[in-house]
Amino acid sequence: MNPATAAPGTAPLLDLTGIRKTLAGRLVLDDVSLSVNAGETVVLLGPNGAGKTTLLGTACGRIAPDDGRASLAGGDPRRNVSVRQTLGFVPQQIALYPYLSVRENLEVFGRMMGVARDALNARIEEALAWSGLEDRARDRVDVLSGGMQRRLNIVASVLHQPGLIMLDEPTVGVDVNARERIHELLRRLRADGLGILLTTHDLGQATTLADRVVFLLDGRVRLEGSPGALIRDVYGDSREITITLSTMPTRDQHLRLTESGLAPVHDGRTWTGSVDRDFDGVARWNQKLTDMALTAAEIRVREPSLEGVFLRLTGEVLSL
Amino acid sequence: MSLAIFRAMLLGLLRDRGALLMSFFLPAVFFVIMAEIFTATTGERLNLNLVVLDEVESETTTRLLDALIESDVLTVLPERGASREDVRARVRSGGADIGLVIRADAEPLESAGGFGAAPLLVVVDPARGVAEPMLTGQIRRAYFSALPDVAMGNVVAELENQFLTLDEIQREEVDAGLIEMREDAAAGREVGWSFEDLLARESVISGEALNLVAYSAGAVAFMFLLFASVHGAVSLLEEEETGILDRVLAGPGGMGVLVNGKFLYVVGQGLVQVTVIFAVAWLIYGVDLPGRLGPWAVVSLAASLACAGLAMLLATACRTRRQAQTVANTVILVLSALGGSMVPRFLMPELLKDLGWLTPNTWALEAYSGIFWRGEALREVMLPVALLTATGIVGWLAARTLAHRKAYGD
Repeated sequence: MNPATAAPGTAPLLDLTGIRKTLAGRLVLDDVSLSVNAGETVVLLGPNGAGKTTLLGTACGRIAPDDGRASLAGGDPRRNVSVRQTLGFVPQQIALYPYLSVRENLEVFGRMMGVARDALNARIEEALAWSGLEDRARDRVDVLSGGMQRRLNIVASVLHQPGLIMLDEPTVGVDVNARERIHELLRRLRADGLGILLTTHDLGQATTLADRVVFLLDGRVRLEGSPGALIRDVYGDSREITITLSTMPTRDQHLRLTESGLAPVHDGRTWTGSVDRDFDGVARWNQKLTDMALTAAEIRVREPSLEGVFLRLTGEVLSL
Repeated sequence: MSLAIFRAMLLGLLRDRGALLMSFFLPAVFFVIMAEIFTATTGERLNLNLVVLDEVESETTTRLLDALIESDVLTVLPERGASREDVRARVRSGGADIGLVIRADAEPLESAGGFGAAPLLVVVDPARGVAEPMLTGQIRRAYFSALPDVAMGNVVAELENQFLTLDEIQREEVDAGLIEMREDAAAGREVGWSFEDLLARESVISGEALNLVAYSAGAVAFMFLLFASVHGAVSLLEEEETGILDRVLAGPGGMGVLVNGKFLYVVGQGLVQVTVIFAVAWLIYGVDLPGRLGPWAVVSLAASLACAGLAMLLATACRTRRQAQTVANTVILVLSALGGSMVPRFLMPELLKDLGWLTPNTWALEAYSGIFWRGEALREVMLPVALLTATGIVGWLAARTLAHRKAYGD
């Protein structure tokens, strides 16, 4: 693929500034700013109802913000239809015609995205080879495996060589191997210079792929940065400790747990924090619990992750 | 870009045997059935099942029944009635359309003069009201053509009874004449006399049965056009559910590409469907399609445009496929009933006929009837053609506006 991308260092491909949107009386997006540059993968994280879909709709030009500005390749995607040529959108569903073959789907979507008839064949050949689907070109889509359908779902959105590709949950319902192939595909797109904005509930995927993650919660950006930097900011050199108590803490115990540096997870029985890498760290926490007249049902220590970051800073589990 | 959608829909249809059958085979079959019904019920091909009971079983009654058996519009059931009650039961149950009993306890046919019980009892079901005049007409015809001697004998008897008395010689001559009449009738020679001899017939249009076929071709074609158009148009809602709409709307073509592509496809599909139905009408029933090809093509294009426009409007106005299908089925059935696709307009009461003018079905039927039935030139059916075309274009433009509003919220 040879996307028509802007060179690194130039203006962002996607630039959302101060976006506010109210739908059915509810503030869905509240002063959200987000940018995606060429050759960069930005992962948008957030629980259901956080505003991710509305934000993608705004970026595509389908939803008009109440306030703020959306810029795609320097133009307004809502008013300037031609800038949408620089965008490829991969829906969460398998947005393909099941009764058409792989090649026929690519022909149809290529033409719909404005690829010239004489250039289409070469693009399809290239896309088939690049995505590993060349042996299945004649097969109907409904006989392909879920992983192959997911790959084709992506390929169908990049035939017109966009500069930016947006993916909504691109690996939903696929097995580990298929997921890895899709990751490989996305890495290659990024290496080719595409800007990538994807939404996912999969924090492992975000850690693997993202140059930058953006946590969206209740319509606001709550965290933004590279996965490594966010983890370092929260945990430093420590590891993540998760304590599940045998009983619900009293109000006083709750206060003391918070003062000791732990953050409650939604149900109040599970707490998370950081622990030094030495072996005595767990023992020290155990002693603290005893001092508070609490006992632990389970204590878990692991390398810090984005999930822990999200938990520490929001007190919420990123629900699937 | 719109042609890409056209192609996707076309391939979808070609690979879906069920949809293919529904779109082209079923309308053709339905048309043949309707053509048979229309021509049979309104033309001269109605055939009645008649159950008979001959309690007399004389040479005269046998001749009468043989003549009825020869009738084109009657099928005398081979299983005779066992009793009058049996005849009544078979008519009541629908096993026969009508019954005829030649009664033994009445005046004999040969000397019926209206002084005693009538010799022929017709057993009818009021639900099949048309059967009675048809049977009595056939009996009258048979009476005069197969039993001329009996008819004439009764006239002579009545003459003698009312006005004069024949002498011996005249009596012998009359008897000899009646015998000769009977022999001629038995030999198949045309004898006797009948009321039909007083009637001559002239039709203002040639070949009524053929024209009814043309009517039913238009009627069936338009109804199926509506169904098939809605089926094609609601794929827009299917594409919304599968995310294809999201993919396309994020691109440069936007909603206009989808609506235009589908509109084009639905119009094309409609034209093929109408062609199939009229080809059957031409090949099987001899409707003059080749002779009226130009006007037919214009009317068919206008009809396809109207159906496509209405279907696209419906698909873009509804939120889900289920909602669209429910609304479409209701609307199409009402339009078709009022518009003459189910029952010929000329059989409707005046009020319904007038209401029919509000439906596109009636416009299409008037246009098709004009060119195939009344032999009108295209300019004489321009009003319904213009109404159909305008409906199509307005529907398409309204669908584009609605779809854009739904996709982009403005």
